[in-house]
Amino acid sequence: MNQPDNPSALTGTVLNIQRYCSHDGPGIRTTVFLKGCSLRCKWCGNPESIARRPELSYDSKKCTGKKECGVCLKSPFPEGAFYVVEGGADDKVTVNWHLAMDCDEALASLCPTGALEIFGKSMTVDEVLDEVEKDSSFYRNSGGGMTLSGGECLLQPDFSAALLAGAHERGFNTAIETACNVPWRFVEQVLPHVDTVLHDHKLTIPERHKKWTGVSNERILANFKKAYETFPNADFIARTPLIPGINADEEHIRSVLAFIRPYKNVIDYELLPYHRFGLGKYELLGEVYELDDYKTPSDDLVKHLQAIIDEAFGRSGQESEGGE
Amino acid sequence: MSIEIGHGSFLRRIAIHTGAGFVPGMNAVVMGAALAAGKLGWELVGIRDGFDGLLHPERYPAGGLITLNPQLIENLDPAAAGLLGQSPRVDPFHVRQIDEDEMVEEVDMSDHVLDRLRAEGIDGLISIVGGQGLSILYKLHRKGLNSVCVPRSIENDIAATMVSFGFNTALSVTIEMLDKARQAAQSARKIAVVEVLGEQAGWNAVLIPEVPCDLRTVAARLKDKITPGRPYGLVVVAEGATLVESSPTQAQPSSLKASLSPLATGDASDHVIKRSGQAAETVARGLQLLIAEETFPLVLGPWVRGGVPTAVDRQLGLCYGAGAVRAMKAGKYGVMVAFQPPDIKFVPLTEAINKVRTVPADSEFIQIARSLGICLGREL
Repeated sequence: MNQPDNPSALTGTVLNIQRYCSHDGPGIRTTVFLKGCSLRCKWCGNPESIARRPELSYDSKKCTGKKECGVCLKSPFPEGAFYVVEGGADDKVTVNWHLAMDCDEALASLCPTGALEIFGKSMTVDEVLDEVEKDSSFYRNSGGGMTLSGGECLLQPDFSAALLAGAHERGFNTAIETACNVPWRFVEQVLPHVDTVLHDHKLTIPERHKKWTGVSNERILANFKKAYETFPNADFIARTPLIPGINADEEHIRSVLAFIRPYKNVIDYELLPYHRFGLGKYELLGEVYELDDYKTPSDDLVKHLQAIIDEAFGRSGQESEGGE
Repeated sequence: MSIEIGHGSFLRRIAIHTGAGFVPGMNAVVMGAALAAGKLGWELVGIRDGFDGLLHPERYPAGGLITLNPQLIENLDPAAAGLLGQSPRVDPFHVRQIDEDEMVEEVDMSDHVLDRLRAEGIDGLISIVGGQGLSILYKLHRKGLNSVCVPRSIENDIAATMVSFGFNTALSVTIEMLDKARQAAQSARKIAVVEVLGEQAGWNAVLIPEVPCDLRTVAARLKDKITPGRPYGLVVVAEGATLVESSPTQAQPSSLKASLSPLATGDASDHVIKRSGQAAETVARGLQLLIAEETFPLVLGPWVRGGVPTAVDRQLGLCYGAGAVRAMKAGKYGVMVAFQPPDIKFVPLTEAINKVRTVPADSEFIQIARSLGICLGREL
């Protein structure tokens, strides 16, 4: 448990702080990616954000091999954690992910080429906000601010609430990106400090949601409804990562619209067309990406589904950016 | 002293299970272990679906363990699919679970596995595993499990054994499919580029991971070989094959980098997914740009993972299963049953993990391939 008496000293596990973002809420924003997720979406493009704890990554492109380096093949690295395939195409290191689990930041920092890295680090609320503060002039001019993303930022409710409250104190607009698969008490703790809630409607049917994300969506939908009703002053923007063959169809879009339209504080519904950028990160973590042959949705399909959304929001005939 | 467990009086109770992924011949291993255990007066039980039968017995109406009694074994078809079932993930150190708050998390259940084995009176475990599984079982052995592993690999890349079961069947299917690919290429007057299994070792292929391939060399050979009388070609590339330099058609990161991912806008976005079919596609398109011939990629992929095991794999599986029981009888744990001609040996797991049985680049195999006129993608 963190130290609730001194919110600015609370610590959380931060994956990355990305500046000059324009897709994660109004204006120019700094997005703080927190580590840990409570879903396992098979299409996830952020595998490094899933585990709650910091974890090792290995980029073979940066490895210069045993002959030139070989640092990780010796103590203090765990025995058997790294090896070189004799007779292989080169002398680069291979990671035995089962035996390299105990490699921490201190060990990874010994890798002179940066091939070994740790995804995620512990930061205090003040440390994060000081970083976010660097672009405060952009926020003022653009109406932007700080966005918490993940992983699932609601998985660290104490830290997230303190960060968002601190951002408000410094005069920044706040937003979060969430799938809301957390107990309501986490939602209730964080949302009072949020101006814009970007929330995912991934699949409509509970069984299919469970198949593709690991859990049913019944609790998620209940959280959304309760959030819409409990926080009428927050802006909610629904989102769907659009994956052909999984959820990129009219039925899903219309179901989401039927769910959100009764609530006036759900101000928009965005489509995020599936893409495969950055998915090579699975390899950096020694994991396998499960959606091998899935294609990105066609422009025509995205336009068609976007038109349905525009019509529902009374924007028929208008130009729409339609997701990313 | 005998103990009363399961179906009668046994001197000892041991278990057998399989790792992730299907390999033809699993039942033969189970038969071999059951027959050898029976001879010793031991009871052999099978754990369903990796470790699932042990960790989640409530999921199985008939129980998570299968008693491999003589009657069952007598009627077991060694050519049929695995009796014990499969699980896509078999790693008790990372078991995906939904917690009491309905949140997904991977948890370490290795202690629970050991506790459950003890509770079932099982004091030895035979694991039919591939390279990844060997490391997992090594970790469990370090925690006190009496472990004996049987090597299975359709790529034959497990070190310390000359052959893993499953390889012979996969090779036979591969050759059959290559014959069909050659006929297709012949009738279409094109070059078939067939991707076969082999992430780190090229025992199934011609363009292999161990020898980085220069497409210009392959293109030059194809130019020589393709004539009006023989207007087709066949290129066999392992999925893990590497090129000396990037193909001109290799996928470039797109400019569309706005992403949910924090690192997709950074260096990491340069990584492309290693996916099934990528090697065939890269080589086929690369060759097509180098020569005035049409190419088409084909991917064998999962097709060679299934099928009826060959006689060799059935014999090998039977032998490995019985060998695992004999290792236990000899009190040898933390070992893998290995075929090191002319004998079966029990090698420490440390000799098998963190190694890959590669095709030696300077071996007589390579020289023989050259003398047969086979182009390996690079002059050595």
